[in-house]
Amino acid sequence: MSSLILTVRESIRYRGRSGQYSWMAHRISGLAILFFLVIHVWDTANAYFWPQAYAWSLALFKNPLFGLGEVGVMAAVLYHAFNGIRITILDFKPEWWRHQRASSLIVWGLFFIAFIPAAILMLGSMIGHCQALAAAGDNCLRIPSFSEFAQYAR
Amino acid sequence: MAALTEKPTGKMTVRLVELDRSPERIGWLFMRLSGVAMLILAVGHMVIQHILNSSTDLTLQFVAVQWSSWGWKAYDIFLLWMAIPHGIRGLLTILKDYIHSPALGRIIGILLALFVIATVIWATIAIALFDPAMVP
Repeated sequence: MSSLILTVRESIRYRGRSGQYSWMAHRISGLAILFFLVIHVWDTANAYFWPQAYAWSLALFKNPLFGLGEVGVMAAVLYHAFNGIRITILDFKPEWWRHQRASSLIVWGLFFIAFIPAAILMLGSMIGHCQALAAAGDNCLRIPSFSEFAQYAR
Repeated sequence: MAALTEKPTGKMTVRLVELDRSPERIGWLFMRLSGVAMLILAVGHMVIQHILNSSTDLTLQFVAVQWSSWGWKAYDIFLLWMAIPHGIRGLLTILKDYIHSPALGRIIGILLALFVIATVIWATIAIALFDPAMVP
């Protein structure tokens, strides 16, 4: 535990500045994507292996709590993609290492340009979904029960 | 590891060296190649699922439409083969920064490799054998 606190504190404190923050954001976004990805892949495989569980999980993931998580995954994928391309270019072009700071700022700029409209769209359809359920007398925060998807049982 | 070329570029010197073939080097190259592939595949997947469509409309029937063509099945299988090894190798890179015993690092590496193989095989079977006609 103390080594975890040390890691977090020193990661923030270290004098690497823009490159250091890119390094941290790359690791955190990568871990976040991987956490989602492993659940997503095993869950989606159920579309074939266990359709009832898959249909139930789709309904569960429409809960706004998971919806906010998806917006987070969108942010993580966009940042990790753009910064990963920056890392790859700089790995093959060491002459450009002097542009470390400028390139990391460009990545943050591209990230916000791509992410903000995506987030607005995703949050919009989340709100629309909750309004549609509310109009039908349901609640988007309700956890669906497994038996509602009995028609998919095989 | 003799230097092939040396060019001073102002404050620093860039030295191109020939490296031995090693698993570490292949892994390093895989991260770059899969990363570039996923700029199209993974970002494209996010755009298709969350911008052009929405997960609030996602149903098994929608999946059946997507996986009724071998082209989209191949897209998803290829993305799977890039994403799971890329993600798990990234996790191993992070873990190895905090694991001080090489033996423990190797054991965790083997376990993660087995997890990659199991996940990729399981999900590839699911995508390949998914039959849209089975969806009610």
